[in-house]
Amino acid sequence: MATDGPVVSHAEAVMGTVVSFAVVPGGQSGQAAARAIEAACAALHRADATFSTWDPQSPVSRLRRGAAALRELPVEVAEVLDLCEEARKASGGWFDPWAIPGGVDPTGLVKGWAVEQALAVLREAGIEAAMVNGGGDIAVFGAAVPGQGWRVGIRHPWRAGALACILEVQAAVATSGSYERGAHLLNPFTGQPASRAASATITGPSLAMADALATALAAGGDEVLGIVAGLDGYAGYLIRADGSEADTGGIPFVS
Amino acid sequence: MKRAPLFVLAGTIAGFAGVLSFHTGPVTPAALAVPASHAGDGAHSGRRATAAPARHRAARTGGVRSAVGATEQFGYGQLAVKVTASGNRITNVTVPAIQTAEPYSQQLASQVIPTLRSEVLSGQNARISGVSGATYTSQAYAMSLQAALDQLHIK
Repeated sequence: MATDGPVVSHAEAVMGTVVSFAVVPGGQSGQAAARAIEAACAALHRADATFSTWDPQSPVSRLRRGAAALRELPVEVAEVLDLCEEARKASGGWFDPWAIPGGVDPTGLVKGWAVEQALAVLREAGIEAAMVNGGGDIAVFGAAVPGQGWRVGIRHPWRAGALACILEVQAAVATSGSYERGAHLLNPFTGQPASRAASATITGPSLAMADALATALAAGGDEVLGIVAGLDGYAGYLIRADGSEADTGGIPFVS
Repeated sequence: MKRAPLFVLAGTIAGFAGVLSFHTGPVTPAALAVPASHAGDGAHSGRRATAAPARHRAARTGGVRSAVGATEQFGYGQLAVKVTASGNRITNVTVPAIQTAEPYSQQLASQVIPTLRSEVLSGQNARISGVSGATYTSQAYAMSLQAALDQLHIK
């Protein structure tokens, strides 16, 4: 951790990845912090159960195959789809869960959304500062050490283990790319696999939106960088396939 | 912009809703690299992503000590990290145990792991809390590493 003070850490296997916590309890006891983390993990598992596209009985799977109407499903489903629509508009259509074959798929936004829910649980429990890292989608509040925000490395797209840069994050950062697990991005306008970026990073106030915009930026490259530049509170940082870089300004680079 | 190749910690870009189950055979250990960073007190709670918190007692040989971190799962397998230190300085990091669900994941891990080594050993003062856009493998690696560092009381 970026501090010598007491930081409570925890890692939870959920949503097909590992979600890690770094919690500065502040005035809370270690035991209270542990309970808060447990409640935050419960929120993550609820989100997984609701939005898993792997589980055919999950609410979102039933919605996708037309086996249930939106009003019959948990209210979070409609909430997430509203956010998806907001992100679709904000990204100029480059993030489009409705363009995915097999029915609407909010996966590109859900992990960020779920991590935000978990962070909110910690905040409401009176925790002083915390970072929740959902497999690289990171949401934070408070100061990791007095006067310093949370420092987050951005993985270098092809130098394994190396960082492209370090950011001091105030609220949320998400990075998308086509490294480790191969191409997983679609161009929503053509339906074809697309990647115009080796690495696409978004910072901003909401991790759900940052997650969706990072997906859009990875698929659309410079064109989407221009769109992100016009969004209030959000910033984008792009590493192109040839290794050249561009950003919108407003990215909190430390080094 | 200055580029600082520090170390590792990490996450993933891949999808939601994966499967955390493995059937595996042990795989040849690979030499590894370590971040440094991390001074947390290691107080873990609730459900851990850990198969078994293998709390090996830190072995002492004069000033040289070593410890094996807990076995940590990543989306496609599990691994444990061993740290050797002289005083408070990390002198080596290896992966004595890694298992993966299929050969492709083993191949990925074997690409990711060795690169970390020199960067970690040369970046012991790196101070960062997380990595965006990183990998399953390095996430598990970082967690096991932290457990080993906790045993050695290296901050």
